[in-house]
Amino acid sequence: MSEQPDTVIDVRNVVKTYDEGRTRALDGVNFQVERGEFVSITGPSGCGKSTLLHAIAALERPDSGTIYVNGDEITSQRDLSRYRARSIGLIFQLHNLLPNLTASENLQVPMYETDLSASARRRRAEELLALVDLGDKAGKRPTQLSGGERQRVAIARALANDPGIILADEPTGNLDSKAGQQAMAVLRNVQRQQAVTLVLVSHNRQIAAAADRTVYMLDGKIAEGDAAASERRA
Amino acid sequence: MSFTFFIFSNLLRQKVRTGLTVLGISIGITTVVALGIFVNSAKAATEELILAGGADFAVGRAGSADLTFSTLTADDLAALREYDEVEHVSGVLMAISKVGSNPYFFQFGIDPNDLDFFEAPLVEGETLAAGAENQIMLGDGAAGQLGAEIGDTVEIRDLSFVVVGIYDTGATTFDGGAILPLAAVQDYERKQGLVTLAYIHTRSGTEVQALADRIEEEHPNLATLVDLADVGDVDQGLQILDAVNLGITILAVFIGGIAVMNTMVMAVFERTREFGILRALGWRTRRILQMVLGEALLLCLIAAVFGSILAVALTQMIVLFPTVSAFITPHYTLDVFLRGLAVGISVALLGAIYPAYRAARLSPAQAIRYE
Repeated sequence: MSEQPDTVIDVRNVVKTYDEGRTRALDGVNFQVERGEFVSITGPSGCGKSTLLHAIAALERPDSGTIYVNGDEITSQRDLSRYRARSIGLIFQLHNLLPNLTASENLQVPMYETDLSASARRRRAEELLALVDLGDKAGKRPTQLSGGERQRVAIARALANDPGIILADEPTGNLDSKAGQQAMAVLRNVQRQQAVTLVLVSHNRQIAAAADRTVYMLDGKIAEGDAAASERRA
Repeated sequence: MSFTFFIFSNLLRQKVRTGLTVLGISIGITTVVALGIFVNSAKAATEELILAGGADFAVGRAGSADLTFSTLTADDLAALREYDEVEHVSGVLMAISKVGSNPYFFQFGIDPNDLDFFEAPLVEGETLAAGAENQIMLGDGAAGQLGAEIGDTVEIRDLSFVVVGIYDTGATTFDGGAILPLAAVQDYERKQGLVTLAYIHTRSGTEVQALADRIEEEHPNLATLVDLADVGDVDQGLQILDAVNLGITILAVFIGGIAVMNTMVMAVFERTREFGILRALGWRTRRILQMVLGEALLLCLIAAVFGSILAVALTQMIVLFPTVSAFITPHYTLDVFLRGLAVGISVALLGAIYPAYRAARLSPAQAIRYE
């Protein structure tokens, strides 16, 4: 008996506008991601790919349409902090690590929203740093790390609360090609080891091509890619 | 890493700004605490004064603006002596004039015969002789300040007095001054027949408060001073000091509040993107509020500790001046430091509410895009 894959992210007819409706960032987007899948969203600047990611991360509220994550509708929920803390891990183009904290302390920041004790948070941070091959850099501040290392700390931070979904917004956009490849290798490795669902936004088609499936966006719409997913589910 | 340590580490990101803000608030808290110490010290000195000589209570003229302006006549003293419960009445005339380098040297004119009741424990020498006119007893503080010993002469108002005794009552004002024959003080003060206060020693078993109440009822022009709360009846000074202290406390809270608000608003503006990231990482608005308020609170608690230490150092420095130490011994009571702490907490809350509210209200997506 074959297992039917779960749809963990289900975006239905989502519209998001800015400038009092003059700019249509998302124009009726339908998009699904299955559990454990690595999906990349690519397209030119301003096509709406980051807006779509932010909507899934509940950082932006759509004007209309619905988004289900793990079967729960997130678009109508009032307080989404718990969802962001427990269900998803975010990686940004810039590492966005706090400069006054060490790598280990930065990893513990999302864990304040859990019941973990200080020692448990520290142990978890050490495990995650080892996972991204930075076990020896726990006490280093961001300024003492290379760009690639900082982004690997950011990848580890996204896993802090053991989320099922990682959302990465141009994670290599601020790195040189070598550091970018290394970061992608770590991300891919982590995604496989931790069996998490990974949605990655990149304007770089080469980076996007590392995914199991690539979705192309243009003018706020899915131009190609998601139809294939629909077919696969069918 | 605890959340408190995380908050503390945020303060260290702008060390100069944090340091200057702490310094600014500390100065306000130093003022409040130092003033509080002096007000309490003045109250303690006044309380010592109204219960001096082992008296059960004192009596002054009702409605006097200042304790030293109170004047009682021989008739008043006679009226007090008529009460059966009263064992002894000592009339004391207070005067202040320059002696040595001290421009505010306290002199207490007492009938030498009253010194059997009015306790002024001798450290050295003897008490004033009955009928003596040119003898003086110095408090141990005054003797030290004047460098005077038994047999030396002290000049007051161009009159010479021979030191016959040195006493220690434990009351700062008394020990920083001198006891002279009542007639001599009345003479050079041109207050014949008048005294400032009457010190009442009651017979054993007397209900002191009941007697004091009865005296006031039967003699409305007299004010009985059983404890510090009664001093307002004959002295507005302490009430004025209390009012000044309250005014300065309120000013310190507002000025400090603005300083904290300035610091925290700048911190919140600078860290807008960071707040967006924290929200994106799952932080609730409540935790953002806790962080901003916590930073302000920690800032002000550091300032409260620093300001209180500074206030103690300052009061210790001030009492090095003999003119101050003659009146006041600093009294470091818990309530004064708690007031400093309360000022710190009020400053933090007043200054951080708006920045914390602003930080918590930020839209995560907008904050992340903030440059």
